[in-house]
Amino acid sequence: MSAIHTTNLKIGYSSDSILAEINDLEIKQGEIVSIIGESGIGKTTFLKNIAHLVNPISGTLKVFDTEKAPDRGVIGYIPQKLGLIKHETVYSNVLEGAICNESIFRSISGFHEEKVVDKVKETIELMNLSDKIDEPIKRLSGGQQRRVAVARTIAQGSKLILADEFLSELDDKTVENVWKAMLDYVESDNITLVIVEHNIERAKLAKRCFKFEENKERNCSILSEVVA
Amino acid sequence: MNFSRKKYPIFITFILFTTYLVFVDLVDGDWASLENSLENLSTFFHESLWPPNWKVIEAQSYPTCERNWDFLCSPAYIGITETLKIAFVATGLGFILSLPLATLASRNLYSDSIALPFRFLLAAMRTLPSIIWAIFFVILVGLGPVSGVLAMTFYTVGYLGKLQYETIEGLSNDPLDAAKAMGLKNSEMIQRVVIPETANNLISQLFFMFEYNVRHGSVIGIVGAGGIGYYISTYLKFLQYDKIIALLIILFFVVIAIDLISIKARSYFVDDATFKSPSLFGNIFRTKK
Repeated sequence: MSAIHTTNLKIGYSSDSILAEINDLEIKQGEIVSIIGESGIGKTTFLKNIAHLVNPISGTLKVFDTEKAPDRGVIGYIPQKLGLIKHETVYSNVLEGAICNESIFRSISGFHEEKVVDKVKETIELMNLSDKIDEPIKRLSGGQQRRVAVARTIAQGSKLILADEFLSELDDKTVENVWKAMLDYVESDNITLVIVEHNIERAKLAKRCFKFEENKERNCSILSEVVA
Repeated sequence: MNFSRKKYPIFITFILFTTYLVFVDLVDGDWASLENSLENLSTFFHESLWPPNWKVIEAQSYPTCERNWDFLCSPAYIGITETLKIAFVATGLGFILSLPLATLASRNLYSDSIALPFRFLLAAMRTLPSIIWAIFFVILVGLGPVSGVLAMTFYTVGYLGKLQYETIEGLSNDPLDAAKAMGLKNSEMIQRVVIPETANNLISQLFFMFEYNVRHGSVIGIVGAGGIGYYISTYLKFLQYDKIIALLIILFFVVIAIDLISIKARSYFVDDATFKSPSLFGNIFRTKK
């Protein structure tokens, strides 16, 4: 089963200025891929297209064999600045992901299912954040915040994780820790992981690597696979 | 629009010049009316305003009042407490009503087809000043504090709603994008992302609005909507300006007190931890840290 499949896809924010073309790309379920390229070339926009936050200009983009928005909780998106709720606690942020596994009524009313609460606690423990469970995000270090973002997607039970430069601004040791935590989860549950990276060394952590390159003839960038 | 520092003097000169031109247009050659203005003010001040008549803090003869202290039966106390009560209820009600409207008016949560009508509604409520709302409700429900509460509530919804949707739209896109990608519904995003991330600003705006409503309490009372304005309007009818100035002095100190309490309370909701619990006068004379 393919997690992401594109055919003649054109992306951007206006049909007058196409940012990038992704002709034929297939990422299978369980694959770990990275996307590299210069700033402003279309990496983040591509992730937002996959996450259904931005609509494609033309072509087809299928996520788990459908062009429709996937079911609740299927996609886990970690934006560049992680998208955490800074004034809320670690528990509350991880719970935000876990509520995808219960009804909207339970989520809004706060009567969470026991399995949801257990999943939150279990994931926080997995990320070694138990001692920070009641700390607001704004008081955590960069590495700890990234682990919370990973915990949120794990608690969500997403089948496809889109992570946008989520390892940036971290020292090597912290990168190793956060990456290991993510990798353990992704490999054990056959999850598809797409990471956008600016740093080539970090991009090499993935099994397959794609690169956006400027194409002057077509006046936009084109995505192609890079052989390591 | 970006201004370089070099362009500031040109910009300020332009503003001053256009202000002058518009002012000249408004005066329309009738400069004589301004000639004696200072003299008139001085005469009015010494003959009618000063000294203030502090009888306003003494018990009034009608209606009868059986409280122990004279002050508790005075127009100043009765007027101010009623204004505070009107402002308190109107701010609370206005906040509860404006928040759902503001979320529906936020373009980062809802499409333009939903957001724009709600923006229009809030703008319409804001367009009429509270005094016009007060006239409307005095006609509708009669003289008294209820019409004052309704008038202030309507204006609060319009004004606070605008502040609220601007705050919501100022939210970082990242947490909202992450929530949307997960498939959370708007109601869940409002509860889990919007409210926690904007809570500090919303509470700060709530205090500001209360303070604003207390100040406006003196205005809406003039048309019969209760509060201290009722007494101001009565004294105006009998040309008792010395009593009005006494009431305004008291109102001024009450507003200063509320302002200090409000700044103190708001400081607890400012993100920067170094602002937590500053000294009372530190609010006014805040030193650089």
